[in-house]
Amino acid sequence: MADNDAITELMARCALRDQRAFAELYRQTSAKLYGVAIRILRRQDWAEEVLQESFVNIWNHIADYSTSRSAPMTWMTAIVRNRALDWLRRPNLERGDEDYDLLVEALPDDAPGPETLLGNSRDARALADCLKQLSGNQRQTIMLAYAHGLSHGELASHLKEPLGTVKTWIRRGLDRLRGCMDGKVN
Amino acid sequence: MKYQSEPLRDALAAEYALGTLQGSARRRFERSLKDDPELRRLVTDWQSRLAPLDALAAPVQPPARVWNAILDRIRLASGHRVSPARRGLWGNLAFWRGAAIVSAMAAIVLAVSLSTITPTKRPQEMMVVVMSDERSTPGMTVSWPMQPKGEAKIRIRVMGHETMTPDQAWELWMVPGGDQKPVSLGLINTDVEQELTVPRKLMPAMNEAWGLAMSVEPAGGSPTGLPTGRIMFKGQCVKL
Repeated sequence: MADNDAITELMARCALRDQRAFAELYRQTSAKLYGVAIRILRRQDWAEEVLQESFVNIWNHIADYSTSRSAPMTWMTAIVRNRALDWLRRPNLERGDEDYDLLVEALPDDAPGPETLLGNSRDARALADCLKQLSGNQRQTIMLAYAHGLSHGELASHLKEPLGTVKTWIRRGLDRLRGCMDGKVN
Repeated sequence: MKYQSEPLRDALAAEYALGTLQGSARRRFERSLKDDPELRRLVTDWQSRLAPLDALAAPVQPPARVWNAILDRIRLASGHRVSPARRGLWGNLAFWRGAAIVSAMAAIVLAVSLSTITPTKRPQEMMVVVMSDERSTPGMTVSWPMQPKGEAKIRIRVMGHETMTPDQAWELWMVPGGDQKPVSLGLINTDVEQELTVPRKLMPAMNEAWGLAMSVEPAGGSPTGLPTGRIMFKGQCVKL
């Protein structure tokens, strides 16, 4: 995956309206971002629309990046995620013929730990360590919610658990995650 | 609705970043983000915490039509194309190395701070150049309205410089990019705030220029019509 410094330099050139730099930025990041959109929307045609809207948004709002405190890929991914989540919440959206299934079965309790899946960077290891400290239910609901953009109701339905229970797993899981990760920064 | 309690704010930021905040609650939260930089920071902190989970999404090559559609939309929006500098000393990208990132990021900061000032009349399109030295330290900024009414004046602000001797002069150059030679805009001095009048017929070229450079010339300016002395500051043009 593209290096964050290289991406920052490309984004700086995009701010100068360098379309070549924008083409290179797309070349380096679009597959990753398309994957993120597909995972949330689970339909290629919707993911194509969202990817297109996101990149136009990125070009038009590149100036916003300097005020953000996140890594450039995190900023770009957040744009794609938000667009995809907004897409899913449109009224009259027809679901039912998705190209991809949910990965409900991919994260049972005895699966290999998240650290093998998230990568080797310091941030990834910190998150993996802290995810391990959550209960299996807290970890699973959080990972499913993030990966697929599921609402509390959708999670409850797929896991066949009461809504209140799922909400509590998420809320407590996020609380413990923050406590654990803030502890690692210091 | 303003969210007051800190734990509530952070819990909402977390669920917004996670994706479980939905419907009207999500829209309400997004609206409050606009005027609440502290809340935005809580959100970006959560996005950064959860970001390693993005590694779980396998990359997938999008079809070529997506890129074509993007290109169509951004070309429609602006007729302004940056001339790609390829050949010649002045177009050589190595010449601009160092200055590029500084100019761009500093200009972005400027753009953001300018955009927070509510204009009393319709805002003008401005060109801004942050010029820096070999060590990428900003030394001066230059700006001008792209469609000036009346005389075309550029505003110069000098932030720092080496000591000059009386036999030296500063000459400002417009660098069009590509193969084209730089064009002298005249001599400037070391005053913190200055204005330079530019011939109106030069404005279209100024508005398409790759960047500006300032060279140290003998008193009276370059004898050849091209820079002869050391380039002290240079920067790329950024349109706001």
